Amino acid sequence: MAALAAQAAADGDFARVVSDELAFSGLLREAIRAGTGDEGRSFETNLLSAALPMDDLLGRVREGVATTYECDQVVKHLWESPGAVKQLRRDLAMEEFFHEALSGSKSENSFIQSLVTRMWAETRRDHFVDDFTKRLKRELAPVADEAEEGKIVPFTGGWGRTLVQMGAVAAALALGAFFGVQRMVDRISAKPALASVVKSSSGVIWSGETAPGDDGTIRSGLYHLSSGVVSMRMSSGSELTVEGPAIFEVGDDASTFVHEGIALARVASTDLGISLRSKGLSISEPARLIGIDARSEGTTEAIVFNGDGGICLTEGGKCRELSEFEAVKADHVRERLVDVPYNPKAFANAWALLSGVENNLGSVRIEMPGTAISSEQGREGEVQVYVENESFRPEGDLEVDQMVVGEFSVAEANPGQQLQAKGELRSYLLQLWPTEGGEGGEVETSLTFDHPVVGVIYSSDRLVSSDSSVGSLISHEGGAASEDRGMDSGNDEILLSQDRRTLNLRFKGGGAQAEQVRVLVALN
Amino acid sequence: MNPGDRELFIEQVREHHAGLRGFVRSLGVDPLWVDDVAQEAFIVAYNRLGEFDHSRDFGAWLRGIARNLVINERRKDARRKRIISDNLTEVLIASSSATDEEEDEMGDLALVRLNALKECVKGLPEKSLRLLKSRYEDDNSAQDIAEEFSMNPPAVRKALERMRTALRDCMEEKMQMATAV
Repeated sequence: MAALAAQAAADGDFARVVSDELAFSGLLREAIRAGTGDEGRSFETNLLSAALPMDDLLGRVREGVATTYECDQVVKHLWESPGAVKQLRRDLAMEEFFHEALSGSKSENSFIQSLVTRMWAETRRDHFVDDFTKRLKRELAPVADEAEEGKIVPFTGGWGRTLVQMGAVAAALALGAFFGVQRMVDRISAKPALASVVKSSSGVIWSGETAPGDDGTIRSGLYHLSSGVVSMRMSSGSELTVEGPAIFEVGDDASTFVHEGIALARVASTDLGISLRSKGLSISEPARLIGIDARSEGTTEAIVFNGDGGICLTEGGKCRELSEFEAVKADHVRERLVDVPYNPKAFANAWALLSGVENNLGSVRIEMPGTAISSEQGREGEVQVYVENESFRPEGDLEVDQMVVGEFSVAEANPGQQLQAKGELRSYLLQLWPTEGGEGGEVETSLTFDHPVVGVIYSSDRLVSSDSSVGSLISHEGGAASEDRGMDSGNDEILLSQDRRTLNLRFKGGGAQAEQVRVLVALN
Repeated sequence: MNPGDRELFIEQVREHHAGLRGFVRSLGVDPLWVDDVAQEAFIVAYNRLGEFDHSRDFGAWLRGIARNLVINERRKDARRKRIISDNLTEVLIASSSATDEEEDEMGDLALVRLNALKECVKGLPEKSLRLLKSRYEDDNSAQDIAEEFSMNPPAVRKALERMRTALRDCMEEKMQMATAV
C-alpha cells in the first residue's frame, strides 16, 4: 500500500488511472452486492456521492458525516495531491477548534470534568480527583455575579422544610420578578399535577418559563434547572432525580424527556414502568435504577445500576438489553449504540440525593452502586455509606440489635430483638474508619435517613447472619468479609433519634480495622 | 508518583488539551469521539508519567500516545471503532509525526490560538453567530441549518465557509499582533 501510494504520488497519470479503476471497481462491488434493502440504498447513495465535487466530499469529511465510500474517494484524491493531506489535517483540527470555541459542552471545564470522571472510573485513584477538584474550585468554577449570587438561597436542614422553600425560591429565581412569576404560575396551575419535588440540594436555581409550584408541584412543561439537584416523585410512584444544568420536559401523560443534563430514575416496584426518553434513546424496559447522561450534544449515555433494562434508539429501532452495571452510549449521528465502560461517577451528586441519606456531621462518603467494600478504601475518621439493597421483602423475621430510641447507648453484646417481616425495606451498610491505631480521638458522625429506621445491626455475629437475609449485593474486594466486623468492641456509642430518622455514632474502634453497621429503613 | 509530578500533569492538561483534541481530530477520529480519545491519551500519560523524560516536550509525548491509540482503532471491530474510515486515517497518520513539533491548531501554541479564536467569535454579527452556533453548538447539518434560516444548503455551506475563513484570518492577525508585542 505504501509503495503504491509513493508511486501514485510521483506519477500523476498513474495515480489517475489507479483512482479511476478503484472507483469503478468500488461501484461494481456495490452493484453486485446491491440486491435488496440497505445495500440497494447504499449503492444509490454511492452513485450520488460519486457525482459530488471533491470540495463537497472534503466538506463532508470535515463535518464527520462522510460515508466509507466518500472517504475512499477523498483518499484517492489525497494520493493524487499529497499536499492536500496536510491541508485536510489542518482543516479538521480547525473544525475541532470551532467546536471548542463555540460549544459549551466542548469547553475546557467540561473536558476536564469529564476527564476526572474517567480517571476515577479507570484508575480508581481518588487523589487525582482531589487534585483536580481543588483546581476546579480555585480556577475553573464559574463565579456568580452579585445579582445572581443574591438569588441563591442555600437549602440546609430537613427535606420537608426545603420542599416549601425550594418551590417559592425557585419560582422567584426563574423570572427574577414577582409579577412575572405570578403570571407564569397562573398560566401553568390550570394543568394537572403530574409529580412533586420531594428533595433538593442546596443552590437550586430554575430558569426558563416554567418552575415547580410553591408546594413543589410539577405540571407538564419544559423545565430548565440551572444548578443544584432536585428529586421528584412522579404520579406513577417512580422517582426522578435531575442534576443541573439540565433541561427536561414532563408530558401530559407524565412521561419525561431529558433534553440535557444528568438524570437518575428509580422505578417503584409497584409501578408498571416509567416513560423516560432522552436525546436519541428511550427506555424500553425499565431497570429498577437507571441513569441518563445527556450532557454531550452528539451522544447520550444510559447506565443500569439496579435490575435489568432495555435501551432503544428512538430512530432505527436498534435496542440493547442491559444488565446491572452495564452502560451504553447512543451515537446520534451514526445512529448506533456503543458499549462503554461502567462509569458511575457522573451520577455522584444525583445519587447523593437519591440514596436517601443526608450527612449532618462528620466525614461521610456515599458510595456509588457497584462499589465493592475494600479494606483499603477508607480514610481516618470517615464513614462510607453503601446502599446494600435498594428494596427487599424479608422472608422471615430479622434479628437486630437492641437499642433505646432517643438515648446514647454503648454498642456492645446484647440479647437482640426481632424485627417482624412485614413491608418493604432498604438496607444500608455503614463502614466506619477509626483514627490511627484505634486509640486516637473519638469520631462523631450523624446521618439522617429519608425513611424511618426500623432496625440497626452492629454486632459482628448478627451482621454475618443477616448478610443473606437482606440480600446484600455488595462484594468484598480481596476475599470474604471479616467475621469480626461489627461495632461491638464496647468503645463506641450509638443513638437513634425519637423520630427514628437520625442516627448518631461516636466511635473509636477497637483497632486499625474498619467497623460496620447495618441500617434497615422501612419504605412503606 | 510524587505530588510534584501530579501537579505538573494537571498543569499540562490545561495547557495541552486544545492542541491534543485538534491533533486527534486531524487523524480522522469521529468528531463525537475526539474528546474520548484525547482523554484516553491523558489517562495513559497519567499512568505512565514515571516514564516521561522531563527534558522532552510533554505535548509531543502526548501526541505520540494519541497517535498510537488512533492506530489501534483500525484493529477494532466496526462497532467499537472511533474513526470514520480506516483508509482515511491511514493516509492522515502517514502525514503526521509524533516526534516533530506540530504547528498551528495541533501544536503547543494551540491554547493561545484557541483563545484568539474565541475573541474573534465575540466580534461576529448576531446572525453569523447564530449560524455558527447552529453548526458547532447544536451540531446541525447544512440541511437542518438551511431549514432553520430559510436558506438553501449550498448557501449555508458557502456562508459557513466565508465565516470560517474570516475567523481564521482574524485569529492569525491576533496571533501576529501577540507575537509582535
